Amino acid sequence: MSDQDISSKTSSHVISGIFAGERVTTRILEEQIQDAVAQGYRTLQIEAYGQHGIGGRLWRAGNEKVHIQVVGQPGQRLGSMGFPNTSIEVLGPASDDVGWLNAGSEIVVHGHAGNGCANAMAQGKICISGNIGARGMTMTKHNPRFDPPELWVLGSAGDYFGEFMAGGIAVVCGYDAQNPDNVLGYRPFVGMVAGKVFFRGPHAGYSQSDAKLISMGDEDWNWLNENIRSFLNRIGRNELMETFSDRSQWQLIVARTPHEKISRPMRSMQSFDKQVWEQELGRGGLIGDLTDLDRSPIALITTGELRRFIPIWENRKYAAPCEATCPTGIPVQERWQLVREGRIDEAIDLALSYTPFPASICGYLCPNLCMQSCTRQSSAMAPVDVTQLGRASIDAKLPELPPEGDKKIAVIGGGPAGISVAWQLRLKGHQTIIYEMANNIGGKISRVIPASRLPQEVMTKELKRVKDVLPHVNLQQPLKREEVQQLREDFDFVVIAIGAQKPRTLPVPGNERAIAALDFLKQARANKAKAGKHVVIIGAGNVGCDAAAEAHRLGGKFITLLDVQEPASFGKEREAAEAVGAKFKWPVFTKEITSHSVKLADGQEIPADTVIISIGDVPDLDFLPETIAQENGFIKVDDRYQTNDPKVFAIGDVVRPGLLTDAIGSGRIVAQAIGEILEGNVPLPFKREMISRDRVTLEYFDPRVTEFANLDHCGSQCSSCGACRDCGICISVCPPQAISKTELEGSAYEYVVDESLCIGCGFCAAACPCGVWDLVENTPIG
Amino acid sequence: MDAPTSVYKAYYGIRQKTDPAYKCVGCAMCNMVCPNDAITPICGDEADKLRYHIDRGGQPRRRGGRRNVAGGILDRLKFIRISMLTDPALDAGRHEFELRTLLGRVLPPEENLKFLRTNGWIPPVREIYPLIIGSMSFGALSPTMWEGLQMGVAYLNEELGMPVRVCTGEGGCPPRLLRSRFLKYVILQIASGYFGWDEIIHAIPEMKEDPCAIEIKYGQGAKPGDGGLLMWYKVNQLIAAIRGVPTGINLPSPPTHQTQYSIEESVAKMIQSMYMAWGFRVPVYPKISGTSTALAVLNNLTRNPYAAGLAIDGEDGGTGAAYNVSMNHMGHPIATNIRDSYLNLVALGMQNQVPLFAGGGVGKTGNLAANAAALIMLGASGVQIGKYIMQAAAGCLGSESDRCNICNIGLCPKGITSQDPRLYRRLDVEDVAQRVVDVFLSFDTELKKIVAPLGRSTSLPIGMSDALGIDDYDAAQRLQIKYVV
Repeated sequence: MSDQDISSKTSSHVISGIFAGERVTTRILEEQIQDAVAQGYRTLQIEAYGQHGIGGRLWRAGNEKVHIQVVGQPGQRLGSMGFPNTSIEVLGPASDDVGWLNAGSEIVVHGHAGNGCANAMAQGKICISGNIGARGMTMTKHNPRFDPPELWVLGSAGDYFGEFMAGGIAVVCGYDAQNPDNVLGYRPFVGMVAGKVFFRGPHAGYSQSDAKLISMGDEDWNWLNENIRSFLNRIGRNELMETFSDRSQWQLIVARTPHEKISRPMRSMQSFDKQVWEQELGRGGLIGDLTDLDRSPIALITTGELRRFIPIWENRKYAAPCEATCPTGIPVQERWQLVREGRIDEAIDLALSYTPFPASICGYLCPNLCMQSCTRQSSAMAPVDVTQLGRASIDAKLPELPPEGDKKIAVIGGGPAGISVAWQLRLKGHQTIIYEMANNIGGKISRVIPASRLPQEVMTKELKRVKDVLPHVNLQQPLKREEVQQLREDFDFVVIAIGAQKPRTLPVPGNERAIAALDFLKQARANKAKAGKHVVIIGAGNVGCDAAAEAHRLGGKFITLLDVQEPASFGKEREAAEAVGAKFKWPVFTKEITSHSVKLADGQEIPADTVIISIGDVPDLDFLPETIAQENGFIKVDDRYQTNDPKVFAIGDVVRPGLLTDAIGSGRIVAQAIGEILEGNVPLPFKREMISRDRVTLEYFDPRVTEFANLDHCGSQCSSCGACRDCGICISVCPPQAISKTELEGSAYEYVVDESLCIGCGFCAAACPCGVWDLVENTPIG
Repeated sequence: MDAPTSVYKAYYGIRQKTDPAYKCVGCAMCNMVCPNDAITPICGDEADKLRYHIDRGGQPRRRGGRRNVAGGILDRLKFIRISMLTDPALDAGRHEFELRTLLGRVLPPEENLKFLRTNGWIPPVREIYPLIIGSMSFGALSPTMWEGLQMGVAYLNEELGMPVRVCTGEGGCPPRLLRSRFLKYVILQIASGYFGWDEIIHAIPEMKEDPCAIEIKYGQGAKPGDGGLLMWYKVNQLIAAIRGVPTGINLPSPPTHQTQYSIEESVAKMIQSMYMAWGFRVPVYPKISGTSTALAVLNNLTRNPYAAGLAIDGEDGGTGAAYNVSMNHMGHPIATNIRDSYLNLVALGMQNQVPLFAGGGVGKTGNLAANAAALIMLGASGVQIGKYIMQAAAGCLGSESDRCNICNIGLCPKGITSQDPRLYRRLDVEDVAQRVVDVFLSFDTELKKIVAPLGRSTSLPIGMSDALGIDDYDAAQRLQIKYVV
């Protein structure tokens, strides 16, 4: 409907904004306009004097059209909250916020309009026949119930045009623009979320993140072309139609949809790295000139060289605790391994390579340091019972003896130490001759240790075996100093193994009434000793305990062992003494030995028919050439039991008091040393380091097992510290399946890790029952 | 028949390690690799008893991280001055702001004009972003972390036009960086160990750009009065090359600069020397740890026409290695230090002449922009961050409940403070750089959200303390801000 139609319907009603020379306030003018509309006037002419909001809110006319013509100076917010029935025409410029919150009216301004034109407009149409100020077409909406609002500007828009625009159509014709170089003003369309803007002429940028230029389609062009005619008609500038009909001069900006929004057009960091960073700094970036190390990102779980920790299979690198603590050096766990493999005979026979007395010592006499150190003990589990293996060794078969060579070694003393060294040297093929003072070899084993501790037949059988291997024994041969000198000249080496035979005495009155423990035990062994009812043993060590047991066997009823400190006795000896009711007293100091008692320093008097002194023995070194160095009554030796005379070695109790196994072990070490020297090597005592017990995993074994039924049971409960059991647990637990077993020559094998699969998690090391796997830090990089 | 007997035996089924050296640091790498998400570290609600045993071998505990005390006064400061309408309507997300600060000695206008007229020397001044990445050395940080920070800063400058600056820390500067245009984004630090300075000197003739500034380190908030030590196992070939030292040796920085006998003498001497190195074109300023004697240092600087500013590092600052006791018990809170210093400058009429930079626990609880804005309104011209950027850009796990904190032993599970490629390659340089960019962009928006309602968009509200309030009367009195409840 055209303007002419409206004005022709009714005559124009004039309302002046000035009355009696006074300006009419906005409130009064509004009242007059609303009254006029209510009275039925549909065409009004307002003479404005800056009044606010002229022409809005004329709903009283209902669906009838109302036409407002404004002459003079309208104030701000012309046509605000305008209704669809209203059309407003300003015959000159308009102030700020034209059509504010317009809800449908058509507004035509025949001049410029100020700031905020069409701000928050939701429906209707505003036509400006000039330029507009800042923040035009801002916060506009499009309610889908109605047609979108339109703003038509003949000239240019001011700054911040279309800010927060949320709908509607704006057309900026750029004709006779205030700033011909930029018809859209500074920073337009910031926060624009919907709507479109047609414009004609240059712009100086807009919010790229909110809006985008698109190529105008036919539909848009047709709409523009059609509606611009109506706009020009409204503002009375039809002559411009031709100018505005050039499609190529028009551009179209639309809001970006939410998913098209870009907060900022940003270069990717990768592109910056390669095209800016490395461009300026050179390949490799900041430190590319200083290092070739790869610094590219890696995952948290790595393989190969990038693993922080790597597993290593250290089979037999370390000695099991049993082996490491056995002075004789018997590889106990290896014997159990043979048992597990069903090679019991080999397990038994193996012992003879290490000791001539596997049954007597391992089976009966030894305190079994191997069992004391057994890893199972660290978890309060019963140690594997080696005595079973020891006792079974009575039937061990000798290894084949090599023929005797031309090297000769004299061994002075036929006790355990002397027999051990001679045995080992014979196994190596050397000649040995034993010189024994007594009438039989065996030393302490055959003469001192109570028969109750070692079955006679075991001893006899093992001594027989020794005699078979070592035929050259000179019995009842006490040697003098010159004879020893001569042996040194005649033989390649001399080994002194005479033991400690001379009892220490106690410097108290009446000590002549006492008998030395060693003498007592020898006599007892030969069943020549006697014991009274009351027996006092001074010195409560293991020898004292042996004496106590023998004294009880020989008639003693009340047996007391004295010591100046907590008795050092332990094990079977101590148990035997306690079993016969012996009492231990300490700390006490003997003052005197009388014919019927022992008097103590604290005044006590203990009845004593027999007094035995058991405070240790020292060697009798009268025969020793003076050139051989001594120390505190013993022969001085180095780690390999070599004396200061390189041709002379000394082993066993003549060096320092020890266990039988110490004596056997020292013999083995000397035999090795001599063997090395004879081969021209410098003897280096080779002893593998003991494995750390916490590498061994015992969780596989039942802690309730306290007794072992037989050898097989023993073998099954041995964790095989440090030596692979070939159980395959590591293969099973390895998460990336990186471990496999490789068969080597013969029965040998190894477990290998595929580095390309291994992640260095350490499951293998934690799970390995034997402690063969270890997890170590990888070689440092850089 | 014998009476029945009982035998009591204990069986230990679990092997427990109680040595403090094996304590769980809570890094949660277990959680990150567990395919079933079946494991996670949870801190017990009891006080940690290990603290009584952590001095094995008579060595007091050393660690990285910062003061193990949660919270702080910065989080309690509120911005209470809200303008209901501003022109233009300041929308932090959409409007243009010019949030820059000045680093350098700013002359009063009359003097500036006089020197301009008489061809006198006008001190160099840099217009920079008010959030600065504080000093962390190449060596303390891994190569990937350090490069990531530098790359992020370069990106912010060159792609986004934000003049962000980063301080090298004491440990030199890679030769390539010294000879690149990126050097202008870098503040070179000189500290008591002078590590890497010969390499810097050798590079001067080849520099394309001057560095942004020179920071003379006198103290560090995390370990006031104590020196630094880069352990030998971190000194690999790379670190050694950059620092100009042999590999595999300990690198101690003494607690104080040798050959200098008072802070007055030292500041005068050091500032002169460092100005001379770049022909008086590069601003030089000292950094001190928070201390009750800060005003004495500041007053001295006001009389020194070369002093380009003063950086103060408060008690909540972080470090890669320090004695636990230094970290937890030594130092001065930053809020009063900055406030007193600023008010002192006001009293002298010089509040616009000697910029103050605040550091130490800024963003400690994650409120980076709020903490920074509070310090700025208390009087700081800018703030320095260190630990925050490690947490934000590289996922540093360290917390004030003593989680992790093992930066000092070269085993950083995130690869931030490790020199082992197997660890530091867990960090992607580009990812770190991207996170640095993210942090600064979001900080920028948050700072605008704070200053816009104050009606500020083109200048930082430095010392605008009428905008600050706190619900603690004594603190309000002490800081001379409003008490609000």
